[in-house]
Amino acid sequence: MKQIYLLLLACCCSLSSFAQDELANMFQDSTKQHEPVIATFKSTRIIQGNSIETLKKHELDFRVDHRFGDIGGEFGGGKTAFGLDNSSDIRIAFEYGITDRLMAGISRSKGSGGLTQLYEGLAKYQLITQTTDDHIPVTVTLFGNAVASGATSSTVKSDAAYFDKFSDRVSYTGQVIIGRKFNRSLSLALLPTLVHRNRVTYMDENDIFALGGGGRLKFSNRMALLVEYFYPFRSQESKDYFKSKGRELYNPLSVGLEIETGGHVFHINFTNSTAILENQFIPETTTSWLQGQFRWGFNISRRFSL
Amino acid sequence: MKHCIVLLTTLLLLQLRTIAQDIYSCKNTTLSFFSATPMEDIDAVTNKAVSAINGKTGAVYFKVAINTFKFKKSLMEEHFNENYLESDKYPTAEFKGKILEVPDLHKDGTYPVTVEGTMNMHGVDKVYREKGTITVKDGKPTLDAKFNVKLVDHKIKVPTLVVKNIAEVIEVTVKGAYLPAS
Repeated sequence: MKQIYLLLLACCCSLSSFAQDELANMFQDSTKQHEPVIATFKSTRIIQGNSIETLKKHELDFRVDHRFGDIGGEFGGGKTAFGLDNSSDIRIAFEYGITDRLMAGISRSKGSGGLTQLYEGLAKYQLITQTTDDHIPVTVTLFGNAVASGATSSTVKSDAAYFDKFSDRVSYTGQVIIGRKFNRSLSLALLPTLVHRNRVTYMDENDIFALGGGGRLKFSNRMALLVEYFYPFRSQESKDYFKSKGRELYNPLSVGLEIETGGHVFHINFTNSTAILENQFIPETTTSWLQGQFRWGFNISRRFSL
Repeated sequence: MKHCIVLLTTLLLLQLRTIAQDIYSCKNTTLSFFSATPMEDIDAVTNKAVSAINGKTGAVYFKVAINTFKFKKSLMEEHFNENYLESDKYPTAEFKGKILEVPDLHKDGTYPVTVEGTMNMHGVDKVYREKGTITVKDGKPTLDAKFNVKLVDHKIKVPTLVVKNIAEVIEVTVKGAYLPAS
């Protein structure tokens, strides 16, 4: 009995001291859950592969990507200013956010590989978004493009650039990007990718499946290190055939430094692949890091809110 | 003994009732801020802040989730959360204070007031004393107040590159229309 008495007395007393924090306590449960994770990557691209990010609604991204010539090896060295005299590929793109999850874009690139003078149409859609409370642990984004060559057909029938009909000029990429921001500085992504080229040369493969991996390590508020690698699953016979023809295939590996300055994202990168589009750098990279056939490159992204 | 308990319980309930009557809350408080520089005007707004006033003691409270602020440019919103307010580390900003001259909130009218208290933003506490207005209409109070927040006071760093685009002192406006808390 005495205990109840004391308890009630305590309640009455506590009410008067309650005044100070009572107002704050009213909203204890108002902290929200399932908040989407932001800024997993700073750009829609990791280096040349896609990141999980899409543009927000009514945002326009003007992108210029450039890859120079080989730094070392036969075509590099001092005579080409370590590749700066040559450009292996250049891409200029306009990409636009239709909704906060869906974006579309067009681009033109020089092309490096079987085909040149490339026109690209692309679309990207963020399917699910990682949440801060790990209710959803990853972000999943889908990417697809169609690329057509505008070049004049080669006269040599065995060439990849010999076009009998329009569809011979076209290739496609389909990609699922699964990414996770592990903490403030580390984000990783896995990129299962399928590249389909309508026309390929003898012993090449129309469909090539590849698995890509990429990451971003932010080391200051403005700068981050980037890395990206693709492993194409090509048959051994096909690999051996190209090797015997002196065109050994390599897996593209890129490293980069990302600098963010408000509306710009600037990448300086080094990569062994000469091409910028997935349709080419995944199946057609014949240049190797170990032979000095890697190059400077930069990506510039300028985002406008329209 | 039994009488004692009944008495105390009644007392307790009475006290609860009077407290409940004096407390007004607002679950959709509007918070907005404005940064003006010759280079760029930046403004953002949220109406998801929560607030409460105790009409008896004058205690006043605000809380806002940083990531509810909406900007015109989504990139600014991302930078605001990621680089400036670091909303992953410091998800909310909070103000605990007092209205110095509490008007009778049951009486219609417009009352100039002074609000004094501690604001916690970006994990840093700072004491503010700012002017505001309480308007009571049909027994429902509305509070308007402006806070001049100096970014350095809350250890919010602006990189030299964009120092011309972001004002050193940001004007934060608070506006809440309150209802008696149930």
